[in-house]
Amino acid sequence: MSGGPLIVQSDKTLLLEIDHPDARACRMAIAPFAELERSPEHVHTYRLTPLGLWNARAAGHDAEGVVDTLIKYSRYPVPHALLVDVAETMDRYGRLQLANDPAHGLVLRALDRVVLVEVAKSKKLAGMLGAKLDDDTIAVHPSERGRLKQALLKLGWPAEDLAGYVDGEAHPIELAEAGKDGGKPWTLRSYQREAVEAFWAGGSGVVVLPCGAGKTLVGAAAMAEAKATTLILVTNTVAGRQWKRELIARTSLTEEEIGEYSGERKEIRPVTIATYQVLTSRRKGAFTHLDLFGARDWGLVVYDEVHLLPAPIFRFTADLQARRRLGLTATLVREDGREGDVFSLIGPKRYDAPWKDIESQGWIAPAECTEVRVTLTDAERMSYATAEAEERYRMAATARTKLPVVRALVDRHPDDQVLVIGGYIDQLHQLGEYLDAPIVQGSTTNKERERLFDAFRSGEVRTLVISKVGNFSIDLPEAAVAIQVSGTFGSRQEEAQRLGRVLRPKADGRQAHFYTVVSRDTIDTEYAAHRQRFLAEQGYAYTIVDADDVLGPKLPTVD
Amino acid sequence: MTISLADHLRTLPDESLAALLQSRPDLVVPVPADVSALALRAQSRVSVTRALDGLDRFTLAILDAARLTRSPDDGTTSTEAVLAMATAGPRPPAPATIRGAVNRLRTLFLLYGPEHELRVADGVDEVTPYPAGLGRPAGELDARAAALCTDPAKLRRTLLAAPPSARAILDRLAAGPPVGSVPPGALQAPPLGAEDSLPPDPTNGGAPTGSPVRWLVDARLLVQVSAGTVELPREVALLLRRDSGPLGPLAASPPPVTAPAREAKAVDSAGTGQTMEVVRHTEALLELLAAEPAPVLRSGGIGVRELRRLSRALALDEPTTALLLEVAYAAGLLGELELGGAATGRYGADQQVLPTGAYEAWRALSLARRWEQLARAWLLMTRQAGLVGQRDDRDRPINALSPEAERAGAPAARRSVLAVLADLEPATAPTEEEVLALLDWRSPRRSRGREATHREVLAEAARLGVTGLGALTSYGRLLLTNLVEAGERGGDDPLGLRADAEDASTAARALDALLPAPVDHFLMQADLTLVVPGPPDPGLAGELEVVAEHESAGGASVHRVTPASVRRALDAGYSADDLHDLFRRRSRTPVPQGLTYLVDDVARRHGGLRVGSVGGYVRSDDEALLAEVLADRRLESLALRRLAPTVLVTPYQVNRMLTALRDAGYAPVPEDASGSVVLARPRTRRAPARPSVTTRALDPLVPPKLALPRLLGVVEQIRRGEAAARAARRAPAVVRGGTAGAGPTPVHGHADALAVLQQAVRDRALVWVGYVDPHGATVSRLVRPVSIGAGYLRAEDDRTEMLHTFALHRITAAVLET
Repeated sequence: MSGGPLIVQSDKTLLLEIDHPDARACRMAIAPFAELERSPEHVHTYRLTPLGLWNARAAGHDAEGVVDTLIKYSRYPVPHALLVDVAETMDRYGRLQLANDPAHGLVLRALDRVVLVEVAKSKKLAGMLGAKLDDDTIAVHPSERGRLKQALLKLGWPAEDLAGYVDGEAHPIELAEAGKDGGKPWTLRSYQREAVEAFWAGGSGVVVLPCGAGKTLVGAAAMAEAKATTLILVTNTVAGRQWKRELIARTSLTEEEIGEYSGERKEIRPVTIATYQVLTSRRKGAFTHLDLFGARDWGLVVYDEVHLLPAPIFRFTADLQARRRLGLTATLVREDGREGDVFSLIGPKRYDAPWKDIESQGWIAPAECTEVRVTLTDAERMSYATAEAEERYRMAATARTKLPVVRALVDRHPDDQVLVIGGYIDQLHQLGEYLDAPIVQGSTTNKERERLFDAFRSGEVRTLVISKVGNFSIDLPEAAVAIQVSGTFGSRQEEAQRLGRVLRPKADGRQAHFYTVVSRDTIDTEYAAHRQRFLAEQGYAYTIVDADDVLGPKLPTVD
Repeated sequence: MTISLADHLRTLPDESLAALLQSRPDLVVPVPADVSALALRAQSRVSVTRALDGLDRFTLAILDAARLTRSPDDGTTSTEAVLAMATAGPRPPAPATIRGAVNRLRTLFLLYGPEHELRVADGVDEVTPYPAGLGRPAGELDARAAALCTDPAKLRRTLLAAPPSARAILDRLAAGPPVGSVPPGALQAPPLGAEDSLPPDPTNGGAPTGSPVRWLVDARLLVQVSAGTVELPREVALLLRRDSGPLGPLAASPPPVTAPAREAKAVDSAGTGQTMEVVRHTEALLELLAAEPAPVLRSGGIGVRELRRLSRALALDEPTTALLLEVAYAAGLLGELELGGAATGRYGADQQVLPTGAYEAWRALSLARRWEQLARAWLLMTRQAGLVGQRDDRDRPINALSPEAERAGAPAARRSVLAVLADLEPATAPTEEEVLALLDWRSPRRSRGREATHREVLAEAARLGVTGLGALTSYGRLLLTNLVEAGERGGDDPLGLRADAEDASTAARALDALLPAPVDHFLMQADLTLVVPGPPDPGLAGELEVVAEHESAGGASVHRVTPASVRRALDAGYSADDLHDLFRRRSRTPVPQGLTYLVDDVARRHGGLRVGSVGGYVRSDDEALLAEVLADRRLESLALRRLAPTVLVTPYQVNRMLTALRDAGYAPVPEDASGSVVLARPRTRRAPARPSVTTRALDPLVPPKLALPRLLGVVEQIRRGEAAARAARRAPAVVRGGTAGAGPTPVHGHADALAVLQQAVRDRALVWVGYVDPHGATVSRLVRPVSIGAGYLRAEDDRTEMLHTFALHRITAAVLET
């Protein structure tokens, strides 16, 4: 028995005890092939998945090495069957290769003839494969590159894509690290640099960084590396403006070089920022803005928030396999379970850092999460108890009892910028009146939004009530406190995104606070538990307090 | 003068005879009456086969050498002759090894007699007719072939002249066995004039050779011994074997193992990991079967669908599940339960497979001993689990636990494979092919044709953790030794009293040392998971089963505390404080605030609703009145209890309560389940209703009116009764036969009867016919004859309107109906 920090479970999870002296070394050793699933405070859970093992294989690790690592760090004997399984799974990657043949163009080449025969017989690949060139090679229609990779992954024989990328239309882009227009000099953070290097070496893939860790900069650095025209896909217009601002500030790009392709403007420039929404809008069943992908000879396509990528974009992406693709996200967890498509179409995960690690490096504001449980009044309980099932969540989430609690929480932080986030417009209006704060919601014009955000940023507005529109990609650097009053049922992503609102680094490194106000003994509590689970697994312990403690006499502060 | 084996045995001292019986124990079942009986049995086909089966390839070759060197005159040979033959090849084995082999054969009395006058036991030739794969000498086969063989130069020339396809056949036969079967027609000459139409032979440069076998037979190199069979004469084979020696290639030592040796620690580690898996999976399997027993199919065993369900639930593949089922059954952990008629299962089966009582005892053992029981059961079970899922001779699937998977030879196969591994250096991991080659050398007669079984044994051994990384584990080795020791002890301990000694065996102890020590604590985390960093000790496992949901198993286990699991713990009798205490006591890390809150929150709501049953209740809006009722001593017998200020309950029925309350001077009103008042009127007793006489016909004097159809029906009924009555009239005495002495004699009667019948056919008249039925009784029947012919009378029975056939010779009398 080696007494190592790792425990290998038969369901292929790896438990890493992080207080163990060897834990750090072990983490480094298993990171290439195991995916971090949960990272609470004492024991991190990694999982061995076929995708993860193939990722490792793609990066040049062999099965022998993986098995040795497992045995070396494992505290207990590792079952023979699991070792055999790992070796067999890894062996499946790269038996087939997609390559460029000088004479025949794109071909599927087999290092193992039997596999090629098996795969060629599959009905799923019908129509993707062309003529058989010799025993080991089959021609592939270049347009099927993405779909073929998808299908091969499903068959369990992922192909290694060695067919390379087109360079695209060159365009000079540099990082302006010296500071631009009198700005302060800055440098890429070490993990950002590593992420870009890992991405560039792999050609295509996904970089996983937590909210507030500077994903935009990773994108900018990748563009500077590519020095080519770039298409950036973002979730919404505000996020697009954000990107534009950041790119102008941090790179040699000027306002004129960056185009916005959204519902309002349709500019196509060397660097174009488009929203998912406009790309997936349809007229008479046809996607009307697909031309954008062919509008220029793009050298790089950046996907912001890959975990939200809508299904149609996957289909377009299948046709873009010859372009370099960079996915940026805080989490690979997709509520629809299409992680495999991200792997085969955008690319394998190239870089990943656990949130807590980055926080301990000081890049993210440490956050304190608190759940405040409100006891409904008897009248509210009674109407909740008799409500229809589909009305229950709304009733519990929008209980008026929450209002004084929210005010008490706002009052607790008199010196901080406070965001109040909710999902129901009526409730937001109540809150707005009650707190005397402006509201940003779906119907707010982009201009008004920008104005309010600017005011919030400058400190003119101290408290802002925002609806679901604030879930993604708005940058409010000085929000140190977020109060969540209602959410979209139990979405884990939403919780992560909202926490991200307060995780951006604060100027003075203050403590960030994240409050969730939930109604006790209702379905609200259950949904809240589901949402928090994701964060708890990321190591953020929730403190649960009663509303009475909040409303009571002001507690001495612990700052 | 020849010495028989019996004579030889008689000259031996007791020890030598005992040694013979020791090495060939089958000779003493039953104990032979005398030495000649012993000798006879030792040379019997069965006993010799057994003796030969245990021999390795080299010893068998030496025995063949002895057989080949027998002098044709007296059938004896000598060690020298054997030595000479065995060393004739290009790479002769050391004489000492040959002598060793000869001595082995002599202890088995397959060879006997002094060194210079060795004899081969009689049965050997019967068991293997072709020594060293050589045919009979040409002299015994065919005179012309013998003539060819006596002229070595000519023989060589003929051989060299053989076309390539013929030569290939010769080479194959020379390697043995020397007999080949040929397709019908291959030996026939091509039809005259059709020689040119023979197909071209690519091995002969395209020129047609006709049948190569025919060429060989014509050249006397092969001899046709029967229709469709040819044999290669010994002399020809020896000539062909001049490169490899007369006995063919000789391997004095087993084939070497070239696979690299593993690290002993790694082997043990991989195996130990597997043992933990096996025990865990077996336990899970048994729990599954306890929750939902598997129905036994009518043909025995449990069905494919059931097996699939189990494997899915265990996340294992079906062969592994089948193996675990078989092993658990063999270990006595599973058994069948007969179901009563009413309680038949889903498939209408009347037997189910579910865990036995031994399962409880097994579960209480340490992990190592649990594994040891399973591994032992596997080694000894006469079942071949690998057959499950395959199809039998009749193409029906073989089910787990079904009689079709029974193989008496399975334990021997396992033992021989593991013995091969055990005899190698520790931690040597030979490839599958190497193991099979070794087995083939060690006991070629036993291993031939069983390669698939041996591969299965290797796979199962890896699955059960007996081997790790392909090598036998240290505790696996001990397990084998234990088993052998137990077998040896079996002689001293015929009743098996010491077999189940309480102390763990050395194998279990060795495994125990390798297994992780049980832990009694866990690590708690904010996402409400508990990680037990090792196998939990039984106390901890019991607690976790109640308070947390199981999430992941293996070396460690992960559990999650959920509101449901806390509720379950509260239901099981834990209080919130007990739970806090348990988490504090067992956790090595601080208890997260969220968990404390969760426990309190669930505990707060636990028991918020109370459920019970009562016989009746008393309610009133007047609390004072209820207080009075409760305090009333006369109502003590009702055992009233106050549920709420306005409700009292009693375990007794409503009527009793009503009476008691009324007796005590209160004025209760009963109400029903919906709350409405039940009004009770006194019930009067009544007899059951009867019809009144007034419903009958009004005037008894008026005849009832009958409808026409009804009348016609009545008439028809009467007519039918009439016909029946006529038929029932007694038949004339003549026809009834037997009793009346007045009638004609039977002969006359028969002739008369025929005349009467013929007349009746013409007149279509009714006739009484008397005849003897198949039981010999005389029966009479009133019929209307239709025809007579071919010895039969066909006649209609008016009553039944059926056509009867009577055999004429059976008719005794016939009288016209008057």
